[in-house]
Amino acid sequence: MKTAAFHLNLLKSNEVLSSSPVRLRVMLPVGALLACVGLLVWWGVLFTQIFLAKTQARSIKEDLATKNSAHAEAIQKRETARELKQQLEQLEFYKAGVRAIGAPLAKFAEVVPMRVQLKELSISKPRPQVLMPPGAKVPLFGPIENVETQKLVIVGLATKETPVVSLMESLESGFETLVTGEHNVNSFKQDNTEIDGKRLLSFEIEYSMPGRRFAK
Amino acid sequence: MKLQLTKDKTIEIKFPSGGGAKSAGDITGIELFAPGETGCPAVRLIRKKKGWHIAATGFVKSPDGELPMRWEDTPHQPIWEMPREFTSPHAALAANSPMATFAQSTADAVVQDMMSGLPAQDIKSALSEKTSLDGKKRFGIKRDQPAAQPQKPATTPEASAHRPEFPEAGKPVSENGRRFVVRPMAEENFHLCASLPEFQTLWLSRLLPEGKRPTASSIQVSESALMASILLQPEFIAADGSALAIFARPDSTYLAGYKKGEPVLWRRCPGVGGTLAMRETVRATLGLDEELVDSVLNESLIDPRPALEPFVRPILGQLSLSLDYLAGKHGLKFDHAFLMGIGAGAAHWSAYAEESLHLKLLSPDPFEGLVVDKGVDSGNASRQLVALGAAIAGMEATT
Repeated sequence: MKTAAFHLNLLKSNEVLSSSPVRLRVMLPVGALLACVGLLVWWGVLFTQIFLAKTQARSIKEDLATKNSAHAEAIQKRETARELKQQLEQLEFYKAGVRAIGAPLAKFAEVVPMRVQLKELSISKPRPQVLMPPGAKVPLFGPIENVETQKLVIVGLATKETPVVSLMESLESGFETLVTGEHNVNSFKQDNTEIDGKRLLSFEIEYSMPGRRFAK
Repeated sequence: MKLQLTKDKTIEIKFPSGGGAKSAGDITGIELFAPGETGCPAVRLIRKKKGWHIAATGFVKSPDGELPMRWEDTPHQPIWEMPREFTSPHAALAANSPMATFAQSTADAVVQDMMSGLPAQDIKSALSEKTSLDGKKRFGIKRDQPAAQPQKPATTPEASAHRPEFPEAGKPVSENGRRFVVRPMAEENFHLCASLPEFQTLWLSRLLPEGKRPTASSIQVSESALMASILLQPEFIAADGSALAIFARPDSTYLAGYKKGEPVLWRRCPGVGGTLAMRETVRATLGLDEELVDSVLNESLIDPRPALEPFVRPILGQLSLSLDYLAGKHGLKFDHAFLMGIGAGAAHWSAYAEESLHLKLLSPDPFEGLVVDKGVDSGNASRQLVALGAAIAGMEATT
């Protein structure tokens, strides 16, 4: 049986007071308020952190932009410096590769026999260098091969063979800076030119010149 | 808390009150302003695994002041604190008030009673309380709506400007300055109706302060609590909740009928006093001192029957009528009835009843069927019957 059938309670439910010292009726709104305040504080902290992060990101971006331009400038300068260095190096190479032939040629004039008439003394043009190899963006400052070889061609007339041989013998020593021992007689034949009724001999001798080294 | 979202839309948020009386497992029943008592009888009832325990009994000091009889008296609101042994979470207060009503009524009679409001002598004082009628905050309580003005009973339904709705069972309602609550009886269209003046209910509700144990979770009228006091009696349970009981109070005597655990009869014996009157009759007739009355009623050296008979006979007459009513109307036949609250002289009552009605009167210990904890004084159980009943009813438990 239910004792509730005999419970004629005149107290309304909203009049029932809590015996707990912690009053839920009070604590619930207070708790809700504290939760709201907590959320607000959390939101504030979050907002501040986002603001700081955004400020930092903007500062980093600005710094990065400044540094990018400085970096590009530095890279450009380094490139320029590298080019200049290469140019200087190449100039050093060219300086080292200078062929001083003035003095040998002056000496050469002294060793030419009387019976020899030089008609032509020429140095062959060097083989053209490829300064823009495939794939290269900028042309090279100097030749790929650092040794350049040329020929000294001596064309002349002689009365007979002996003076020519004498000339060739003279060139064998003391002219190392002008020619090497390697030579080739391209022609030696009777020429139509006559002096004192004698017909002259024409000759053409090709000497290899010492290699021109582009190196330090 | 009510929140008005739009003009038509309102939502209500109910905060837990923390003191609901539903199935309270630890409750103290307290009888206030008990006639003939200097203190307030109190019983602490605790439900444990092995059954119902009486954890404490006693008479606590009455609250400072008297039960207010007018609105004007209510500003004096005493704060009442219980002794340590009665600091249960909940308290069920059973009030003795001359302005309280408790009766079995039909629904129409209940509504008529709700329409009639306060007695004529109280209407004037209630009307003079302007603040109680204009919906303003009074004594820390904000009224949902202005208290209804007491009005004269309407003779016809058409003449009544405001006819209150019959209240939902167990739900207290305020009407015409009174607080009403009803419970259905086992007989169709009959209800138990209890009421107290609104100001007395408010005064009682704030007697035990918030935040300290106990706080009031139930306010009952003493008769209502009295009716619930035998619900845990083993004899009552063995009879499947069908019983007839005589409740002797210091100032009055009541008859109660139960059918399968539900109320079926409640009536006050007209023209009969209570135990105080009985004792006074015995004392005056036999020329005894007050101290000897109990001895005379319990022992056989002096026969008290000549003095007792004029008092008991009218009650037995009413008992006979009730027996006939229960037998004829509800098919209930009894060979015994309960006699509660008598204190001394129960054997003589039973002898009279057996002679005239062939009915045995059982007068069990009110705490029978309950486990009385060690150290608890159970010697005054009959004086604590209302407090016990208040606790039993306040528990709203299922036995």
